[in-house]
Amino acid sequence: MNGKPATSPIPVLQTTAISKRYGSVVALDSVDFEVYPGEVLGLIGDNGAGKSTLTKILAGAVTADSGSIFYKGRPCSFVTPRDAMRAGIESVYQDLSLAPDLDVSANLFLGREPLRKGFWGMLDFYDPADMRARCAEHLGDFGLKLEKLDQPVDSLSGGQRQAIAVARAVLWGREVVIMDEPTAALGITQSALVLALMRRAAGSGTAVIFVSHNLPHIFEACDRIVVLRQSKRVGTLDPKRASMDETVSLMTGATPKLGGDQP
Amino acid sequence: MDTLGARAVRSAAGSARDEQRNRRRLLVWTLVLRVGLVGIIVVLLVFFSVAAPGFLSAQNLQNNLRQMAVVGILAIGETFVIITAGIDLSVGSMLGLGGILAALALSAGWSVALVIPIVLAAGVVVGWINGWLIKGGALPPFIVTLGMLGILRGLTQIVGNGQQVAFSAPSLVAFASDKFLGIPNLFWVLLIVGILAGTFLRFTRRGRYIYAVGSNMEGSRRAGINVGATIVTVYVLSGLLAALAGILITARQAQGDPNAGTGYELDAIAAAVLGGASLFGARGTILGTFLGVLLVQIMTNGLNLMNFDPQVARMLEGALLIAFVFADQQRKRLASST
Repeated sequence: MNGKPATSPIPVLQTTAISKRYGSVVALDSVDFEVYPGEVLGLIGDNGAGKSTLTKILAGAVTADSGSIFYKGRPCSFVTPRDAMRAGIESVYQDLSLAPDLDVSANLFLGREPLRKGFWGMLDFYDPADMRARCAEHLGDFGLKLEKLDQPVDSLSGGQRQAIAVARAVLWGREVVIMDEPTAALGITQSALVLALMRRAAGSGTAVIFVSHNLPHIFEACDRIVVLRQSKRVGTLDPKRASMDETVSLMTGATPKLGGDQP
Repeated sequence: MDTLGARAVRSAAGSARDEQRNRRRLLVWTLVLRVGLVGIIVVLLVFFSVAAPGFLSAQNLQNNLRQMAVVGILAIGETFVIITAGIDLSVGSMLGLGGILAALALSAGWSVALVIPIVLAAGVVVGWINGWLIKGGALPPFIVTLGMLGILRGLTQIVGNGQQVAFSAPSLVAFASDKFLGIPNLFWVLLIVGILAGTFLRFTRRGRYIYAVGSNMEGSRRAGINVGATIVTVYVLSGLLAALAGILITARQAQGDPNAGTGYELDAIAAAVLGGASLFGARGTILGTFLGVLLVQIMTNGLNLMNFDPQVARMLEGALLIAFVFADQQRKRLASST
């Protein structure tokens, strides 16, 4: 198995030789990257290794200077985040992108509110009852229990807010969910909840890209780990076989490069 | 160890007590704000019924409803803008320009049916320019609409030659002074505008996006909401309603006044804020704004009937505004600390 799921041989998202510069700074240097449906892929590296740039390119927020992106095996280009979202790629950002004054269901459906049936729907009337019912159902599926769905999200705890942001991404990210440090601000139980959400999303066939500095979380949740260092991909690890020490030495450059799993 | 443990227990009990006190305070401030506006209106109504001679006469009540209409319509447009965390200082000047354009066109012999859509279109164009300049994010709403305030007022003075503009349009003038079911037509216009605006804001997706943009602009953009279009929409609505108010004021006065609406932008903003709209965005309702306008109208009229200097009402309005925003701040602070 080698950690790679056998369900689909075609990566849902793939980059070949992708590069990005910011002025004289090389952010990504000819990076090949691939993520398969139904896996949680860890993306790790020290600060400035290129993780953020890579995920932003995948999410359509940044355009690469050179190299190609393939979506389900076909060449594609996401010019705006909306293009990526339309393809079923969602991101959870470090700084929460929830609307703090709106309630839980409004946030879960933000930008995708279901319209009422018939005449009123044609007048752009949305359906709050449908939203609340589906919201309760989805959060229940994710094992999230909130007392009230009609309270503004800024009255919730940080962990609950992050869980809602993750649940929203998992709900709409049919193909790929990109999570940038989703557990960074969370306590132990809340982190466990978010990791469980990731596993659940992967279980339903979604590809999850998990960016984190927290190696225990990476090792707990991931099927496969891609390591970046100084703008290059330096190796791929199987968390079931690799040790954290090996991983750290690969991240810091004590071990220069792994050839093994490179495509 | 023992003292340390005891201290921990004591401080835990203390913080629980603090939290309880905070909750109680939060409840009080929330109640003050919820009940406050309606409560003050009811108290004033009762007080003036007794103390202000002629307050309850049909004539006076109708006058109140008529006078509310113009500022009320401006304040509804302002509410849309304020919910996006913006501000529109140009509505008073737009009212002036709309009013003078209507008077000039009517005096040139154009029909009412032609003049109304043209003036409303002028409001849309001005609002669109405001929104288009603001949506890029480089120019703050305060500056853009302050600039527009000056531009439009200057334009109004120039096209109207700085003078009152007389015209003859008996049907329009009669409409503005007539009643339907005992209620002045101008107030019906306010009611219809208010119901349409409230429905849009409360029940439609685009209405919801106005709150979302005011709550977290970047997050809304990431959620796929067209933030630019939402911002343009609120300024267009504000401009449109200001132009409508201009037509109504010209019809009511039966002449075009190049100074009409001077300073009204502040009354409109005050009414919206009294009604619960927050300049930080994402808060405000049409019903609240309506009540804010009603409160100021009743206070001004009642004090006037009691032979107070009209400036007293202005001072009280100012004090109330500060008190309401203070109460809202308290509520917000406590809400985030519990």
